Amino acid sequence: MSQVKTNKKFKWALDFNQKNKVSSGELPSPPGYNQSANANYTETSKDTDSNLLLIKKLWDVALGPLKQVPMNLFIMYMAGNSISIFPIMMVGMLIVRPVKALFTTQSTFKIVEGTQAAGQKFVYFIGNIVNILLALYKCQSMGLLPTHSSDWLAFEEPQTRVEHIGGGLSLL
Amino acid sequence: MGVLSTSIKPNFLGLLKFLNSFNWFIVFFSLINLSVCIYEDQIGKFDWRQTYVGRIKFSQFDTVSTAKKIIVATEENVLAALNLKTGQVVWRHVLESASTGNIQLLHVTDKVVTVSGANPYLVRGWDSTTGVLLWEWSLMLQKDDHAEFSEWWVQHGMLVHMLPVFGSHLEVSMYNLMTGQNRGSTSKLPAIWTNEGCVLSPPYYSCISGSMGSLLLLSLDVTSNAVQIISKPLSQFISTEESSLRPLDANSIQPGFVIGDKKIVLIKNNEFEMLGISVADESASVALVDSTNGPMVLQTWTDDIKGFSLIAHSASTGKEVTEVRCSDPSLRLPEPELAAVICSKTPRELHACRLLVTAADDSLHLMQQAGRVLWTREEALANVVAVEFVDLPVSDLDAAIESEFDQKEAAKMYSSVWAAFSRRLQTQFQQLQTLLQSLQGAETNARDTSTGLVRDYFNLHKIIVLVTDVGKIFGMDNLSGAILWQHYEPSLDPSGAAVFTRRSARHPPHDAYLTIVGKHEETGNGLIISLNPIRGTLVGERSLQLDVQLLQCALLHRADQEKLHALLLLDRDENVQIFPVSAAPLVENMFIYVAEKNTARVQGYALKYDGRSVVAQKTWSLSLGGSEAGHRIVASSAKPASERTHSAGRVLGDRSVLYKYTNPNLVLFVTEGPDAIHKDVVVATCVDAVSGAVIASAAVRRARALPLAVHSDNFLAYVYYNDKHRRTEIGTMELYEGKQRWLEAGAAFSSLRASRAPAVYRAAYVLPAAPRAAAVTHTERSLTDKHVLFALSTGAIVELPWAYLEPRRPVTPTPEHREEGLIPYAPELPLPAEAVINYNRTLHRVSAIYTAPSGLESTSLVLATGLDLFYTRVAPSKTFDLLKDDFDYYLITLVLGALLLATYSTKYFASRKMLKMAWK
Repeated sequence: MSQVKTNKKFKWALDFNQKNKVSSGELPSPPGYNQSANANYTETSKDTDSNLLLIKKLWDVALGPLKQVPMNLFIMYMAGNSISIFPIMMVGMLIVRPVKALFTTQSTFKIVEGTQAAGQKFVYFIGNIVNILLALYKCQSMGLLPTHSSDWLAFEEPQTRVEHIGGGLSLL
Repeated sequence: MGVLSTSIKPNFLGLLKFLNSFNWFIVFFSLINLSVCIYEDQIGKFDWRQTYVGRIKFSQFDTVSTAKKIIVATEENVLAALNLKTGQVVWRHVLESASTGNIQLLHVTDKVVTVSGANPYLVRGWDSTTGVLLWEWSLMLQKDDHAEFSEWWVQHGMLVHMLPVFGSHLEVSMYNLMTGQNRGSTSKLPAIWTNEGCVLSPPYYSCISGSMGSLLLLSLDVTSNAVQIISKPLSQFISTEESSLRPLDANSIQPGFVIGDKKIVLIKNNEFEMLGISVADESASVALVDSTNGPMVLQTWTDDIKGFSLIAHSASTGKEVTEVRCSDPSLRLPEPELAAVICSKTPRELHACRLLVTAADDSLHLMQQAGRVLWTREEALANVVAVEFVDLPVSDLDAAIESEFDQKEAAKMYSSVWAAFSRRLQTQFQQLQTLLQSLQGAETNARDTSTGLVRDYFNLHKIIVLVTDVGKIFGMDNLSGAILWQHYEPSLDPSGAAVFTRRSARHPPHDAYLTIVGKHEETGNGLIISLNPIRGTLVGERSLQLDVQLLQCALLHRADQEKLHALLLLDRDENVQIFPVSAAPLVENMFIYVAEKNTARVQGYALKYDGRSVVAQKTWSLSLGGSEAGHRIVASSAKPASERTHSAGRVLGDRSVLYKYTNPNLVLFVTEGPDAIHKDVVVATCVDAVSGAVIASAAVRRARALPLAVHSDNFLAYVYYNDKHRRTEIGTMELYEGKQRWLEAGAAFSSLRASRAPAVYRAAYVLPAAPRAAAVTHTERSLTDKHVLFALSTGAIVELPWAYLEPRRPVTPTPEHREEGLIPYAPELPLPAEAVINYNRTLHRVSAIYTAPSGLESTSLVLATGLDLFYTRVAPSKTFDLLKDDFDYYLITLVLGALLLATYSTKYFASRKMLKMAWK
């Protein structure tokens, strides 16, 4: 059967299994395409633009804590000074987040080594410190910080005595 | 409050503000939880009450009603019925304590009849089973000159009242017992032969009268219409001239008396009849009772050698009834007296007698024949004078562990590490042994008293030492109220007695040591009794009578090498005696103050060791009444010696500290005296007993002081009756150093170097009740809140938080006050029913409340004395260091067990699932 098929050349048959492969690599360039110009452009912009973007992005990250300050202030205002579950949770978050961020500074700025890395880290650090201070201020205004002498009253030594007395109503 | 108002959202804030303006403190009272009351199933769990009646005056068996009882009337003006089988009080009526309640006659038939009071006399009939008052009428004598010699008895349904006028006549009146109708007014019988030595053996009135050498024994039936005097020369009966008459005891069935403590004479058919039975002992109590074989003479006395003795003779034959005879050397009844005797007829013709015997130590015993004691009541406990709570010793094992970890001891004993290590192993082996023993012995001896008296983990188990008015000292288990030991000291006059724990049981090789300083009953000289409070045995000085009267006594603060605190005695010549003498060099920085009650003078002495002996030097003297005479000290209150305040100040609303002025040498004196303008004034003065400086004072005009004062920490309170407004008020004071400390924390306070005066806050409140006793709760470190306990005349003990009595309560509260938790000032103190710690167990005539700390900081032990004893424990700040009483141990164990089971089963299932997954 196959012999018959292959041998007979049908008028409408189309053969997909052509033995002779035509190399397709040499397609003509589309009109207006300048290969050399293109190559040149990518080589130059890749170096400068992505770096700029990264720096920009990292500045965003570094300034992030500072940008949070007005938001935090607003949250603090809304939370009020009473001691109940939600304000406590908010204050907790306010403290924990910057502290966490401070500990992960190294990993946050891992990708970048450059002229501005030190500055960015410094700004990031400052921003987080500001946030911590804000949270501490909030704790202070809520009365959570043991800054008064009354907070240490329980640890004080009891008074001792020098003289001792005895006596009472006359037994006579 | 401030916290609440800001935390609640604005919607509620409006409501709250409305409430604030409307009645602010209603909200506050609902916030302060006063629920000191207990649940119904906790009744009797931490508390007990013992009811007493006092020393027996009259007693009679109630044989008519079905439930056998003994009806008693006592010196404490109590009428009560005691259960014959158990001795428990069936019913009890507490009459007035003054002469108006004095019971003159008790007569029991099917009803109980009493005559009480003193002009007007009240004749009352009571139902013997329930004690309900059935009828009452009163009787007024025209002349009450000799009323104290009145004699009363009941004869043929008539109440007979006889009033002898010695050397002149007898006035006899008879009244219908139920109605008080007077049968034939008062008859006057001429009797010039009467004198103070006459005795009544109803209806005969008998005297020994006449001149020396020709004494006559005279008797007169005062109720008969014809005056018939029986008269016989005394020499017929007794040979000696000096003789006295004494009536027979225990409601004897025939009129009779004892002459000269030797012979028994009965009056039969208007004739004297001398019995052939002689009185066995001079002090013997003689009674004539009815028995199956005719009248029987019972005699009882205590012999020094033979102990309690009881003999019985037949009155007609004079033969001894041997079944009744008893001689028990172990039974010590000082001066026994037959109060009531009944001998019933049994089928087997035996003498089944019930004897109610009272003794000089106020104890009451019900005995049967042959001296077997059925029950005993210690009525001396109705008059407790002084109380001391004593810690129990730790068990031997705990003592070993303690000594092991005691630094000094350890340094002495174990020089090397190895010695300490072997000691540790040894102790652990001992621990194991005791554990095994306790597991074994759990079934065999559940309760052994000797091993049971060890300190428990929270030091809640103690021994209460009670000194009673009659001179009997008791040791009582505080958890059960059982009497562990008793010691009778007949010569002790304990008025004003002081009790000192000179050595606690914490020093294992040495036993606890307790000393009672009192007076000798006859001479008034000092009497010192030292005993071991755990066992009740005399130790050390034992019972020591001094040869001088004492002014005051004190305990030395420093212990000697045997951990014994020396006793310092200041006698009336201002000489000092010290026990033991070897402790004299330890006396340093010791001061004694002596207050004279009637002159309101206080004097201070400094005690010094001059190389040979201890001398007292008078350092200051103060007249509390000022220049005016007539002032007297009503109450004085020093701080408890064991008090150590661990809270140095109060935290204010702005979170600053108001430091307390806790001068340990401060003594509060409450005096009252006449005033030219204001009638009476009450002055409360705080005196530093070392320097004699007056630290603070307060005066109340037109008032009379009550002998109630409490003083603890930095506050004090005194109670007075306001004559102007006719109500009881309580004045309170608090002393503060201010917002700055005077001394460093932990520094030693010295009264002699104190130059600044504290800030004093004062206030007064209306107490809407009549208090009889007051005390303040006392905890180990004074960290818990302080509550003041008031025993009210209604029979309740009310626990009132100091927060209500605080003088800093503001009239117009500011937010800062609310922040601090101060209650706004309200003149009247709330006494809610929930604050009654003795719930429905009414306590009659509470005389004092004693408090003691326990090992738990939250808990204070309370004992109220009076006619009843009531013990409980209170937790002023709730039991914050203890699981709740109804804590569900089973549930928590069950839940834990179930969780553990679930964990392990899921582990198993999980591993099986993993295995299956791996095979797929």
